[in-house]
Amino acid sequence: MGDLDIKGALSSITSEALLEAAILVVIASLLIIVVQKLVPAVAGKLSGKPRLYLLASVPLLRLLIIILTITMVVPVLVEPSFENMVAIFGALGLALGFAFKDYANSLIAGIVTLYEMPYRPGDWIEVNGQYGEVRSIGTRAAEIVTLDDTVIVIPHGLLWNTLLANSNDGTDNLMCVAEVYLDPNHDVACMQLLFRDTIYACPLTKTHQPVIVAVSAGDTGMKYRLKAYPLEPRDQTRFISDLTARAAEICAAEGVRMISRPLMLH
Amino acid sequence: MTSETAQENPCLPGGLIALDQWKTPETSVQKTLRSGLRDILQQLRAGMTPEDQAFESLDDLPALSHAKLGRYAPQPEAGELAGAINECLASLRQGCTHNRQVSFVVAPPFSGIQGALRASGLRVISPPDNLLMAEKDIPGWWDEQLAGDDWVVPELADFWLRHRSGMGLLKEFFARVAMEGAGKGMVGCSSWCWQFWVQYLPELHVAPLTVAPLTDDRLTRWLAFLASGKAGGPLTARMTNDGLYVLPAPEEGCERKYSDFARDLATMARGNRGVAHAVWQRTLRARAEEDTENGDKEEKKDIPANGPSCWVAPLEQLSLPAVPQSNGRQPGHILHALLLHNGLTSEQLQLVTGLPGQEISLSLARFQRADLVTQGDTVGAFRVTPLGYPAVRKYLQSRGYPVDGF
Repeated sequence: MGDLDIKGALSSITSEALLEAAILVVIASLLIIVVQKLVPAVAGKLSGKPRLYLLASVPLLRLLIIILTITMVVPVLVEPSFENMVAIFGALGLALGFAFKDYANSLIAGIVTLYEMPYRPGDWIEVNGQYGEVRSIGTRAAEIVTLDDTVIVIPHGLLWNTLLANSNDGTDNLMCVAEVYLDPNHDVACMQLLFRDTIYACPLTKTHQPVIVAVSAGDTGMKYRLKAYPLEPRDQTRFISDLTARAAEICAAEGVRMISRPLMLH
Repeated sequence: MTSETAQENPCLPGGLIALDQWKTPETSVQKTLRSGLRDILQQLRAGMTPEDQAFESLDDLPALSHAKLGRYAPQPEAGELAGAINECLASLRQGCTHNRQVSFVVAPPFSGIQGALRASGLRVISPPDNLLMAEKDIPGWWDEQLAGDDWVVPELADFWLRHRSGMGLLKEFFARVAMEGAGKGMVGCSSWCWQFWVQYLPELHVAPLTVAPLTDDRLTRWLAFLASGKAGGPLTARMTNDGLYVLPAPEEGCERKYSDFARDLATMARGNRGVAHAVWQRTLRARAEEDTENGDKEEKKDIPANGPSCWVAPLEQLSLPAVPQSNGRQPGHILHALLLHNGLTSEQLQLVTGLPGQEISLSLARFQRADLVTQGDTVGAFRVTPLGYPAVRKYLQSRGYPVDGF
């Protein structure tokens, strides 16, 4: 520590400098709060791509403000010489390395998130069995909102060693699957055609995206998977419900019995 | 496909072209950006400002009287358009660029194709009363309709409902056309309906034709042609703000200075004849000292020696209808269904959208107040208005609905 001369670097700090730095930090914090509140509110009024782009700009703007604040605050506190910088950042590195290892891990992962973009605000992701829409990306963690309106905080540090599934990957195309199980011994081709028609008849279907009806036989009967894209990712619950209801209606009309899937214990 | 010559039919400028050759009229990057920004601002403003979505003129110049409007910007004649379509088809057949037994003319709403095909003189096939016809009855129905002499289907969108039991008629029809088993005929089809069916039947290849988009020069020629029939001479139209000319159409060697109005109108209407015509009618103004709504009696004698003239309000001074803000999916479902089917009754809307009748009535009433939708007299079907169409299309596109390619 003596070599780094941290004491020397900090000796020039005066109370005025501290006050000035504190004001800068407060202004930056307020700016970040405004950006984090205002931009998602504006994005909420839009739909489609403009909404996704606006949401994705929030963490980038925040990073920009943080970098600008650091570059403005450091010269206020210490003389920006090479020795002083090495001393300050060396001490900071040691502190982060020992005392706040996990926190720093998530901070760095948060920066990687902005660069690699494994998820953006507006994406629908699944991490450790939790599925939801990314509401915000913070410095340390991301917040997702599940389909049942529960907020889950996911530290960015999980990125390093956890599998992450992203359903729409920055676009507004999100494939949904409605599953129905039918009693065997029926005309499979006919049911596939009827299910395909019913997907196209659903007003929530994005008809310019692929529509697929997959079928497989299992112990529990014939399993049909109705795959299609809703108009917007936000429509997924309504879309799957609508497809399931329409499929049930067809089964009733055709006299094909739907069966329940037995409960599976994991 | 058709070269633009001086001999082309003036009521169908640009003629018929292959569907894949259609493209929107060109505009400047600046105007595209401005329009995109305006759309975003409109979305943001929605909900903050009181509902003032209906058509509104923001200038205080007197509008043209009904009689003058009927002379200066009359509705296009369906018979003339039918003749022009037949001429174009004959010329395409002669040039061997179109040799199908069944000719499809796909066009955006309000293009006038439906009326023209109805007036073409061929036997008209009308849709059955029951669009949810049982599968087993469909082949027999088509056998009956397609037998005999040449036929015409003025609007294919009238033959289906987006319902699991309402698609059978068109599935059978397309299968017959693909197998050349439908005889000889002509089919008009709304671009929205077409978009749905080419996605449903990706292997459908029937070489559809479409009307060429109205670019600024085509639009000017067309508007001048419309006025020439009844106005009593070539119409002169100038801008109210700077006096620049819109009509008559520019000629070689003429030294008049022309406004960008025609280009802006063509862009705003995306080359759509019906939309451009509806907006054009709303922009025409009389002189302040001239007759207005009450002065119709004087009109016969007031055609000046150098031809009739009127003024044109800039497009920025018109406030076109806007779609009312709503958080639900109902407005989008209803408007999309109306365009897919070229108009639907309230009962049909319930069937297609799956929405309850009360919700549909509430939304329709709101749309009618906003001049977005109008109800027809005969069967009571609701349709999108030409003035409301640009806003409806943008609204549907921004909310992820599949829109037509026009």
